[in-house]
Amino acid sequence: MNFESLSDRIDVLTAFVDGHVRPLRFRWQGRIVRVRKVTGEWNRREGSVLLRYFSVESHAADTYELCYDPRGPHWILSRVWNAS
Amino acid sequence: MILLVDMDAFFASVEQAHHPQLRGVPVIVCGDPSRRGVVTAASYEARPSGVRAGMPLQEARRLCPEAQYVEGNPEKYVAISLALLNLYLSITPDVEPFSVDEAFLGVGRATTTLEEARAIAADLQRSILERFALTASIGIGPNKLVAKMAAGVEKPHGLTALDEEGFRRVFWPQEIQSMWGVGPQLATRMRSLGITTVGELAHAPDVALKATFGIIGPQLREAAWGRDDTPLTPYHRPVEAKSMGHEVTLPEDCHDPAFLEGTLLRLSDQVARRLRSEGYVGRTVCVKIRDRNFTTLMRQRVLGEFTADHRLVFETARALWRQHWKGEPLRLVGVTVSSLARAHAGGQSELFEPDLRATRLREALDRVRDRLGEASLVPAGSLTHRSRLGHVPFGPVTGPRGSCTPVPGSAHERHRASRRHRNLGLFIRRLGGALLSARHALPGLPRFLRPPLRGRRGQRDLLPHPRRADACAHGEEDARRVPVHGEAQPGDDPRDLA
Repeated sequence: MNFESLSDRIDVLTAFVDGHVRPLRFRWQGRIVRVRKVTGEWNRREGSVLLRYFSVESHAADTYELCYDPRGPHWILSRVWNAS
Repeated sequence: MILLVDMDAFFASVEQAHHPQLRGVPVIVCGDPSRRGVVTAASYEARPSGVRAGMPLQEARRLCPEAQYVEGNPEKYVAISLALLNLYLSITPDVEPFSVDEAFLGVGRATTTLEEARAIAADLQRSILERFALTASIGIGPNKLVAKMAAGVEKPHGLTALDEEGFRRVFWPQEIQSMWGVGPQLATRMRSLGITTVGELAHAPDVALKATFGIIGPQLREAAWGRDDTPLTPYHRPVEAKSMGHEVTLPEDCHDPAFLEGTLLRLSDQVARRLRSEGYVGRTVCVKIRDRNFTTLMRQRVLGEFTADHRLVFETARALWRQHWKGEPLRLVGVTVSSLARAHAGGQSELFEPDLRATRLREALDRVRDRLGEASLVPAGSLTHRSRLGHVPFGPVTGPRGSCTPVPGSAHERHRASRRHRNLGLFIRRLGGALLSARHALPGLPRFLRPPLRGRRGQRDLLPHPRRADACAHGEEDARRVPVHGEAQPGDDPRDLA
């Protein structure tokens, strides 16, 4: 398993389900990654800004850490775990 | 009835829950795995190898080479701990957080039976598993002592309910060190008195215990009977802090005085900032240093006045360090302030403080950090090595760090150098924007630090620039090309995602 710390800006397609944001898929390095499952969700405060983090699992069994930064607003891919 | 909810191998379990690839394999949570440090948490799969929290990583690697080493994310664990706290509060208002992964809950009334409490605990275990994919061991008892010790009887995902009689049945045959509050040194002293089990402590004569251990002797004897009248302090009732401190294990053993002083400055700033944000002042400064042989030295000095000023904390810590450091390479440095009082009580002398400008500047800087985050302003004396200390407890100064070390002269290093310049620009821009917003609070600032009054366009220019993406692939020398916000990339049409 391989772990990478990144800070790549990405486009994310999301849905609102039961009042919660749920990432469905995102584009990273020109390819589209489909989210199979949201495995974790937490917030981090940076001054007055609340950053929202999602740990998601793809259909290829890789896991990604996505961050929604309302200052842009934009999404950032902050970590990747490769299953291979 | 009291419940003690203890999350099983909390940090490691969170990582296993968030990363399915880690489930079922030994996981060790630590600082940066590429640097030296200590084990923060070990999963249950890693524990049979002998790996324990607090153990040096080098030893953990020797004992469990097949483990997955994961860099911990303290902010994530705290956020999940708070979410768990909210879950507990949905059951009862009587919740006392005991640590990041433990909490006491007061449930039911005085007449609630162990079986009723057990049903509540079982529901809670199910909720934690469903909502967080985490397991918890729960101890139930008539008081905090019994609940705490019962939680350790069956792990992981255990549920143990004991009354005082059950406590005696389970714990009296056990070693004295299994008692909550009896550490290795106390246990050694007890064994020297012939007390080797909890049952023997329960029957030891009060006189002998008092003569040897003082006032805590008879208290320990009561505890050995499963008796404890410590009240549960609910979450909503604030508890007065006794001390506040920060310490850091250095990236490598260091004997560079400039680096160590910079570290002390950063630690002092963190401690003073915490004191101010929580409304405390303190008057005892303690410095802690640990050398490569794990020999720890702690020295403290009582100040003539209460303070929450990082300069005074730093100057005192530095003086202690200079006095007691013999020049040997250090692996850990820490600063603690104790003898705390509430700022409105202990800090009255500040009314007569001659340096009002410094106080106003400090308040303004606090407001900057409240708005832009702790890393938005750091003492200039620690800037030269901020990237080396960009981990716990400081937090990153800019975005997330890459996990690889650049090779001198490589494109990666050049990229990092340009990023450092950009970060400096960002720092100055943030400082400028903050001063602009705080200009009314800073009439005493020197003219060259006063921000010019500008129109809206100028003000916008001073706002922090959106953080640009930094890419750093593990083990790669060359940094990936960094896409800049707004720059078109191949296949960038958002409609592709839909």
